[in-house]
Amino acid sequence: MSWLHGALAVFQKDARLELRTRFALNALGLFVASSVLLVRFAIGSSTITPSMAAALLWIVVLFAAVVGLGRAFIVEEERGTVLLLQLALPATPIYVGKLAFNIAITLALNLAAAFIFWLMVNPEIHALGLFATTLVLGAVGLAGATTLLSAIIARTASSGPLLAVLSFPVLIPLLFSVVNLTRLSLIPGATWSDAATDLTALVGYAGLMITASVLLFEHVWRD
Amino acid sequence: MTSINRDTLRLPARGTPHRVFTVVVAAWMTTAIYFGILGKISNLPILEHTARNLYFHVPMWFTLMLGWFVAAYHSLRYLITRKRIHDVRAEQAALVATVFGVMGITTGIVWARFTWYTGTDIWWNGDPRQVMVAVQLLICGAYFVLRGALEEERLRARLAAAYALFATATMPFLTYVLPRRMESLHPGAEGNPAFSQMDIAPEMRWIFYASAIGFLMIGWWIYSLRVRVRAAELRVQEQSI
Repeated sequence: MSWLHGALAVFQKDARLELRTRFALNALGLFVASSVLLVRFAIGSSTITPSMAAALLWIVVLFAAVVGLGRAFIVEEERGTVLLLQLALPATPIYVGKLAFNIAITLALNLAAAFIFWLMVNPEIHALGLFATTLVLGAVGLAGATTLLSAIIARTASSGPLLAVLSFPVLIPLLFSVVNLTRLSLIPGATWSDAATDLTALVGYAGLMITASVLLFEHVWRD
Repeated sequence: MTSINRDTLRLPARGTPHRVFTVVVAAWMTTAIYFGILGKISNLPILEHTARNLYFHVPMWFTLMLGWFVAAYHSLRYLITRKRIHDVRAEQAALVATVFGVMGITTGIVWARFTWYTGTDIWWNGDPRQVMVAVQLLICGAYFVLRGALEEERLRARLAAAYALFATATMPFLTYVLPRRMESLHPGAEGNPAFSQMDIAPEMRWIFYASAIGFLMIGWWIYSLRVRVRAAELRVQEQSI
């Protein structure tokens, strides 16, 4: 299982580097906290419906994700470690390791965003299980769709707003499902069977994006 | 120096079949437009004579789809063969798709505004097909932005091809999953996304089919010309280096 070992090594390397500086986690945490605070100010004292709360939460998460997840491959270019990584491992384990790291970061981001959002905007969560499942599946789908795109933008000269431009059209199906699911979990009396279609769509989306990324990653990564 | 990394780019052939095709397209489209504007129409209450837009609006959308599929096909061919002509073809097909997509969404917005939404101020109604075509246009735009952000030719071709294929992978969701989950003005909202017997009068059906074929042919005609022009431009650039 050298393949899995390679992926695990990439994940551990990234996790260790991240824990040393905590740059991404701190930056994303502050990004989320300040944008939710902005949302709170913008809403003012007006009451907010479940569908609006769901939309606002996921817009904040989406913007935070495209700011944070683009780093995954850019840091390799900045440190000049791309060639070493290419020598050490075939393409797929690198992708899987980076994907696992991105999923972990996105998961932390989603949980932080949801908690701060709940604290400040204070929507009533009626189905906590569904709400949490949506956050987890949303993190997997979000990381699955953006990891390959972050590998693409790492090769460009000016990668500033490029990840948002490339990923938002691709993320529309994800956004549709997660907003629907979050709205369901915020209204009373929603059951799991109401959410079944969107949950399967979300799982299918994440699977499709990850499969396509695995197939295409080698062409993006190797010259 | 340049010849080491590059396969020579050949101009696609152009001969008598293409000239015949040009004449056929011109005659075919003239006939389709003639019958589209002057032909018999079912004249339903809200639609009235705007139903003629069916002959133009829907085929533009077909051409967008054809253009994008050709772009995706040549992106895949590029990744497999690494022949530059496939990159040129993918780029020009995406360009044709974008142009027809913009025309399709414009005719659609205007059509809806002056039939269902007469007397309101609604231009954008969030119809799933409208959202979908907007997303497809955003993908086309992102494809060209990505191309613009990359200097080196082979890297640009490879990454653009990868992005085109990655974006194409979301198409099943946009065409099959979302339209069934949202309310729509378009036919076939609850099931098969196509016309049923109720939606279209028999005498309109034939003009519609002819117009659809005509638009696909004119899309193909523009595409083949654009590919030749672009290949010629690249050859001139290389010879002048």
